[in-house]
Formats: sequence, structure tokens, C-alpha cells
Amino acid sequence: MQKRKRKGFSLRRREMLSGLLFLSPWLIGITVFFLWNLIQAMRWSFNYVFIEAGVGVQFRWLGLDNFNHIFRVHSTFMQEMFESILQIVISVPLIIFFSLFMAILLNRHFIGRGLVRAIFFLPVIMGSAAIANAIEITMGMLMGGMSHVPPEALREATGFNAAIIISLLNEFQVPPQVIGFLVDTIANLHEVIRSAGVQILIFLAALQSIPPSMYEVAQIEGATGYETFWKITLPMVSPLIVTNIVFTVIDMYANSETVETARITFFELQNFGASAAMSLSSALLVCVALFSICYIVSRHVFYYD
Amino acid sequence: MTPRIISKKTHRSQFAVYDERGRKIKLAKRGKKLSRSVAGTVALFLFIGIFAVFMGMPMVLTISNALKPLDELFYFPPRFFVRNPTFSNFSDLFMSLQQTWVPFARYLLNSFIITGFGTVGHLIFASAAAYPLAKNKFPGSRILMSIVILSLMFSPVVTGIPNFLIITQLRMVDTYWALILPAFSASLGLYLMKQFMEQVPDSLIESARIDGCSEFSIWWNIVMPNVKPAWLTLIILQFQALWATTGGVFLQSEELKPLTFAMNQVALGGIARAGEGAAVMFITMMVPVTFFVISQSRIVETMATSGMKE
Repeated sequence: MQKRKRKGFSLRRREMLSGLLFLSPWLIGITVFFLWNLIQAMRWSFNYVFIEAGVGVQFRWLGLDNFNHIFRVHSTFMQEMFESILQIVISVPLIIFFSLFMAILLNRHFIGRGLVRAIFFLPVIMGSAAIANAIEITMGMLMGGMSHVPPEALREATGFNAAIIISLLNEFQVPPQVIGFLVDTIANLHEVIRSAGVQILIFLAALQSIPPSMYEVAQIEGATGYETFWKITLPMVSPLIVTNIVFTVIDMYANSETVETARITFFELQNFGASAAMSLSSALLVCVALFSICYIVSRHVFYYD
Repeated sequence: MTPRIISKKTHRSQFAVYDERGRKIKLAKRGKKLSRSVAGTVALFLFIGIFAVFMGMPMVLTISNALKPLDELFYFPPRFFVRNPTFSNFSDLFMSLQQTWVPFARYLLNSFIITGFGTVGHLIFASAAAYPLAKNKFPGSRILMSIVILSLMFSPVVTGIPNFLIITQLRMVDTYWALILPAFSASLGLYLMKQFMEQVPDSLIESARIDGCSEFSIWWNIVMPNVKPAWLTLIILQFQALWATTGGVFLQSEELKPLTFAMNQVALGGIARAGEGAAVMFITMMVPVTFFVISQSRIVETMATSGMKE
């Protein structure tokens, strides 16, 4: 009897191949635009990098000197890095709870829901550098005469222009002391929402993916709102809690002192190698922190199947 | 942590529900109200309302500034609301930018091209890549996910110069591609889509496969509709990010620059351009806001499990 010849690939191989086919466009992109950059940055961190006129980027091998410099010679880098990480670890639970709470509120049916959601997303839109910059220029131009406002209040928060609120309160003739207090409060709130806007959006999407039939069943069986939250809402959004932790950590790290120091080292001090070393080492450290948080949290995640 | 109810034991009118570990689940007593009290609801909405008023203020001010005539813009002390609304700022803006060598509509078109192509391409690339990462566990997928997270973490400061060199070598400087192509393979969307796709029940995909559905068709007809809230969110995030780019060093020709660049130019134009600055700011801000409202209203509850019986 002739042995039957196998046609094509096995199921497993076929699955893998189709997976690779789906992955390939993105894989090419990330190789060109990220992995190559990562390799370059690694190379930079071991070299003294300088730009010579007419020749381009030049390298001189330094070994571990750049790392030695940032960890043992640089006066503030170590401290800043650990403060950034501490700040991230403290803020993550606050932002996650706040955004879950807001998402549940905004997911309820009420009139003007779309508009209210847009308003909550507004800080994210206006926080982007180009738009915040234009607002600052315009407001500075229009409010040139407001000398009774302390300059610290105007400089207060990133992406938020206190002059806007001050002009409104001025309209209603509120005394300056009250204005000062309100501006501080709102600037802080604005900062919280700015850093939670994306997370609220992700939780909203997660809440909308919960099949309504589950809530119907719970209601028929007589579960209270409290029980429904703990037994249905929280387990069903729990996979996205991990996602949101990742987003929060990345966002906070991108806006942290450490990255700012790396930027200054790069553009102002033109010490490219040291800047690459700073970015690499701090990114790796934050990654380790992130993976350990995710590992702990993901053990409590519930996957519906 | 499971919403499934395993068994019910009925004893006279008494009613007890047990979960899968056999623990008793407490039920509400009869007559007890199931929903929150009216006062609680009112308080919650008051809370949202106050928040919304403060957060919405910049938008209201932008609108009212755009409608203010020039004399009202410079009124001292400044006024928040407009008294005599006029569209003269917009007509001034179009008039003065019509006469420059790049008309205003061109900036707007550039922004739409970059944002539109970048967003759609990113959505397709990211969700196609997310499907095998979420559902076919093959060797190397964990390493790939670690690379994704690392790339999210890696600050654009250091990658800036190598990235520029790559774009130069690909001869894409001063074309739209310099901004669009890197956006295609951004890893933010991939991560988001992968997390959502993991929640699509495996049995749904298996049954499609048994019925002879091709992998492409499973992705496009089964998985994608089920993660609609996810990709609408992804579109919003990517749209917002691309809309805010000024082109930077990648676009040097004036006729390729996006709207945000024009906005900064007008805003820097000084006192005489203040009205136009307010108008262009209104346009720049309103496009993402409108987009957001439209795409949010498209989200309806999906029914991932509605076709399943257990």
C-alpha cells in the first residue's frame, strides 16, 4: 500500500503562516521605524557621538563611559529617575480608579452624553503640544493687560491656561483671593483629567463590550447595583485594567523629569551618547517596574470564555 | 470574580443562589429598591455637570473669541462671552490667506490627507497584526508583545535623529509619507486592539473555522465587528495625535504643511492677526471635537456572546 502523501501543511503550521501573513505589514513597519532606531540608540550609548560638518554623524568608542557618567558623575539623574518611578507607582492606582469611576458615570444614558464625553476628552485634545502652544500665544496676546494675576497662576499647569478661567470669573466680579483658590483647584483637576482622558475612553469601550444580557440576568435574579458592579462590571473590564496601567505608566514616563533631562542633554548640551544612555537605562527600568505590576495584576484578571 | 451562576436551589418561597465554588450569593430582599436613590443620581449628575462646565470652558472661550469683533477681543477688562457676534474673523482669515502663496484650503487639505491616511492605515495594520497575537499563540508572540511595550516606552527624543536619517534614506522627506508611514506601524493601537481581541470568545472563532470561514474572513467578519468599540477608540486616539502634528522637520515645502503649522504662524502674527488667530484656533479645535462626537455616537453595545449557547 502506498503511503498517502501529505497535502500542504499541518494545521499548526498553517495557523502560524496565516498569523505571520497578518503580522507582516506591521512587522516591517516596526522593524524599519523602531527596531533600527533602538539598535542605533544602543550604539550611540556606547560611543562619543559628534556631528562633523560635511561628514555627518561620527562615533568614537567609549565603552561604558556614558553609563558611568550618568549614574556616577551626573548630579541629578539618578535621583530624578527614582523620583519619576516613585511618582508613577503612586499615581497609577489613583488614575485607574478615577478613570473607571468616570467611565461608569459617562456610560449611563442621559441627555447630552456625547457632548459631555467630548468635554472630558477635550483636555487630551488641547494638551497636545501644537494646540497648547497656539492657545498660549493667543491668550498671552489678548490678556496682556491682566497684571493683577500672579504669574505663577498662569504658569501653573501644563496644557491648561488659567487665564481662561480668570477672565470668566472676572466677568462675574469674583474677588481675587477666591479666584486664586479656584484656579489652583481647577488646574489640579485639569491635570488629573488630562492624564486620565485616554484611560476613560478605553474603559468606556470596555464597558460597551459587556453583553447587556448579563445585566438583564443579574436584574432578573435580583442583584443589587453594588453586586452587579463587583460580579459583572469589574470582572468584565479587568483585562482592560492591565491595558490602562500600561497606558498610564507610558504616559507618565513620557512626561517625567527623566525624559526632560534626556531631552536637555540631547538638544542643549548636545551630549548625544549620554542622552541615549539615559533613555535606554530609564526605559528599561520603567519596563521592569511595568512588567512586575502587570504580572501581579494579570493574575487577578478574568477572561470571559 | 465570575458572573456565572451555577445552581439554584428553591425551597418554598426562599431563594438561594450559589456560585461555582458553592458560596452563597446574597440577593436583595424583596421590596428593596434595586437602583440607586434619586438623590444619589442627582448628586452624581451635579458632579459631572460641575466638572463638565470647568472642562468645557476653554472650548466655550475659543468659540466666543472666534465670534468676537476685533474691538471686543481687546476689551479691558477682558470679557468671556461675546456681545456682538460676527463672522468677520473667518472672512478675514480666508481673505488674507487667499492672498498668500499657499491658500488656507490647502493647509486644511494637507491636515486631512495626513490624518485620514495615517488613521485608516494604522487601524488596518494594527488590527491585522493584533489578531494573530491575540488568538493564535505562536512562538515569539510574547517577545513581540514585549517589543511593543518597549517601543511605547522609548522616548522619541533619542529616536528622533535616527528616525530622520531613515526617512531621508527612504527619500520620503518632504512628502506626506514621512508622517503617514511611521504612523502605520505605531504600536499603541496594536496593543489596544490585542487586549480587546483577547476578550472575543474562542468558541466564536472556532465555530466560524469549522463552518469553513477563511482566516481573513474570520478577522474581518467575526473579530472586527466584535471589537467595534475598541477600533472606534483607536481611531479617535490616532486622529487626535496626527491632527496635532506640525510636520516638524519632515515637511519643508510650505504647500505640504498641515493646519496646525498654519495656526501657529497666524497666532505668531501679532496683534493685527488676533481675530484671525481666534478663528483658525476654532477650526483646528473643532475638527477633532466633531470627529470625537460622531465616532462616539457610533458606538453601540456589541453582542459578542449573543449567538452562543452554553
